[in-house]
Amino acid sequence: MDKERFPKYVLGMMKNLNMVIILYLAIVTVHSLSGYIFEHSAMDFLMKVKRMPMEPWKLPVISIGLYLCLLLLLSIPCKSKTNFLFKTIIELGIVFAISYALNFSYTGMVFLIIAETMSYFSDMKQRIILVASIFVVYMLMDYNLLSAKYPIISMETCWAYYNRETQSLLLGLRNILNSLNMIIFISYTIVLILAEEKEKERILGLNERLNTANQELKLANKKLEEYARESEKTAETRERNRLAREIHDTLGHSLTGIITGIDACVMLVDIAPEATKEQLKAIANVARQGVKDVRRSVKALRPDALETLDLKSALIQMIEETKNSTGVQIIYQIEGKLKNFNKDEENIVYRIIQESITNAIRHGNANKIKIRIDREFNMLKIHVEDNGVGCDNIQKGFGLHHMEERLNMLNGSLSYCGENGFIIDAKIPIRWGTEEKND
Amino acid sequence: MIRAAVCVILLIVIWMIASDSYKKLPGFYKDVIRIGVFSDSYWDVQNGYSYKILEDAIAQFEEQNPGVRVEYVSGIIKDDYSEWLSEQIMKGDAPDVFFVLGEYFNDFVEAGVLKELTPFIEGDQNFFPDRYYTSAYEYGNYEGIQYALPYECAPKLMFVNKSILEREGLAMPDDQWTWEDFYKICSEVTKDTDGNGTIDQFGTVGYTWEDAFDSNGVILFDERGKECYLTDKKARNAISFIGKMGELNKRYSVSSKEFAMGNVAFQPMLFSEYRAYKSYPLSIKKYSGFEWDCLTMPAGPEGRNISRLDTLTLAMSESTVHSRKAWELMKFLTGDEKIQSEIFSYSEGVPVLKEVVESGENQKVFSGDSDTGNVLSLSMLSDAVEQAVVVPRFHDYDSAIAEVDRAVRNILEGSSNVNMETIIQNRNINNYLKTKQ
Repeated sequence: MDKERFPKYVLGMMKNLNMVIILYLAIVTVHSLSGYIFEHSAMDFLMKVKRMPMEPWKLPVISIGLYLCLLLLLSIPCKSKTNFLFKTIIELGIVFAISYALNFSYTGMVFLIIAETMSYFSDMKQRIILVASIFVVYMLMDYNLLSAKYPIISMETCWAYYNRETQSLLLGLRNILNSLNMIIFISYTIVLILAEEKEKERILGLNERLNTANQELKLANKKLEEYARESEKTAETRERNRLAREIHDTLGHSLTGIITGIDACVMLVDIAPEATKEQLKAIANVARQGVKDVRRSVKALRPDALETLDLKSALIQMIEETKNSTGVQIIYQIEGKLKNFNKDEENIVYRIIQESITNAIRHGNANKIKIRIDREFNMLKIHVEDNGVGCDNIQKGFGLHHMEERLNMLNGSLSYCGENGFIIDAKIPIRWGTEEKND
Repeated sequence: MIRAAVCVILLIVIWMIASDSYKKLPGFYKDVIRIGVFSDSYWDVQNGYSYKILEDAIAQFEEQNPGVRVEYVSGIIKDDYSEWLSEQIMKGDAPDVFFVLGEYFNDFVEAGVLKELTPFIEGDQNFFPDRYYTSAYEYGNYEGIQYALPYECAPKLMFVNKSILEREGLAMPDDQWTWEDFYKICSEVTKDTDGNGTIDQFGTVGYTWEDAFDSNGVILFDERGKECYLTDKKARNAISFIGKMGELNKRYSVSSKEFAMGNVAFQPMLFSEYRAYKSYPLSIKKYSGFEWDCLTMPAGPEGRNISRLDTLTLAMSESTVHSRKAWELMKFLTGDEKIQSEIFSYSEGVPVLKEVVESGENQKVFSGDSDTGNVLSLSMLSDAVEQAVVVPRFHDYDSAIAEVDRAVRNILEGSSNVNMETIIQNRNINNYLKTKQ
């Protein structure tokens, strides 16, 4: 038997038993009343009880009919507590009517209502108040109490039709059935309380698990924070390294050239002043180129365009400036508005484009670059292609590696190819989506 | 929702069954009024006219109310009638209107079998309670509520052996006579006429303490029968009077047979017996060899010439669904002059309508009964009925009376002071009344 449904089975048992008790009382009473009529002692009976008894055939019909009503009512689910109270009052009324029909010889149907109330109200306070008030009604529905004020035929008087022995047996059976009802009711109470305890324990267990999970989550969060901090540090270090490389690549290279040039000039200046002049011109060019490179590097480090402009405008500005300062031909195509990215994401997109252009110019010596940014489903796709020397054996320098790492943070991906010129393809998942779609 | 609807329908059906209102539904309704009646006379006199008045009444009633049918079950004798009625009631098959024997009136009221008539009485402008004799009408009253209408009644009267009085040279007393007259006559006629040493002519037989109480204005119990007033001065005087009368017979116990043999001057009897035996040929059968007539009961010093009234009443069943028509039928049986005057012709009781008793027409019918000079005038009868004592009605009245009877006997037989003995006995009776309820 399913343990969760156990209280329901007990309640069902109680309902059946009550039906049996009511039928039993009604049938025995009808038989005894008919007996009085049959044996021509109706007059004596009537004078003794001083009340018109119910017509024999009506007694079982009415009591069972009312009991069916009660069962129907008990089976109707109630959404609100007010409805439930209203229903309970009607139920009590029906129980009173059944008891009235049975001359208040049996009122155990009340326990059905109590059982129902107990299972409906889980709040202990409400439950106690209600059950107590129903109990009061139950206690008031007592034959001895009511017969003092109202004329009620006692069941014993009706059953006095039988001889003493039979009467004792019949009354005994009634008492046994009554006790059985009480026992079932008590079992129901116990089963219900046990089931509730179990439920409480289950909830407590769930709660505990939730707490543990919460704790774990906190721990993970902490770790994540630490990791974030670490990764920030790493990024910083990387940035520093990049800066170092940048300085080395640009300034170092220019300065080395200048120093070498100047040394040559020092030796040449007396021998061939004309050549020295030429040499100095070349040195000046290198120095100018160096300054240019430094400027570009500094710019690359601080994309302040993003601070004032939106992503698309910033990209266009950056591309146009590069075009003007280097004379490289850059063709670009940006679809959509590129809105609703957060700061990190905007930064990453900007850096990827910038880095790609820089790489193409610096390492690929390209003079033509194609850039395309578009959306495909929930992916932002960036495609950069140049006509430079390409690279047969790609070594992940600072640039590519950095790009890849950043993309990974956004669950994106990077692919590149250096066979014919250099091609970079980046994919970034779009998390917001809806507004972009609507555009 | 469906369950709630089924529940409501079920409740309505049950209510209709429980309240009997289903009987008014087309399939169950029967336009027949049933009346519960017994076959023999209420006055224990076989006259061969069992259902004559009822059948006449039904015929006329059905004629006046077209479409209404009145039925009755015949063949139930008076002794079985109350049991039969109880069985019908328990079966839920009670007649709409039924006769209630006087002794069971209280029980039926207390069992809730009888319908209260107050709403009908108050709602009916053609109903006049004062047409009935007050005492007879009051007979159907229980604790202030009218449950039944009187159908016929009979007062207790004093039968007089006129031959003895004539022989002894005593004048026939008039209808204002007193205990004193009664005692005087009794003491004069009580004697040994043949001189054999034993008394063979007596003053009275069957004159009980109840008769003395009634004619001395004694109220024995309160309305609910919870207290007895035996210590009342009137009651004590009555008991003393009974004692005095008893001493006349010198302990010789007189039977009513002696009256039939013409050896007793007075015997109280119901008016119905007077009616039964006054008419030829029944009178020859029972009281031959002497002339006799009827008188009112002698009045006590604190009372009047009155006695008790036995009344047959008609009541309506609590469960009837034809209450309107049942009420009309009751009214017709008890209040129609023609039907009521048939009581003089086909029954031995007295009609309950004053106008019927006092009308000249019935005077003739009544005089026809009498073979000699008629002492009992209709106006005297009318007075006797009007002023009659209504027998108190409460549960177990009979056993309470038996207690009083035993007590009175003890008081009379006791050698001690009557007053002291009365107090003791009264206490015993009150104790009994307390345990009974």
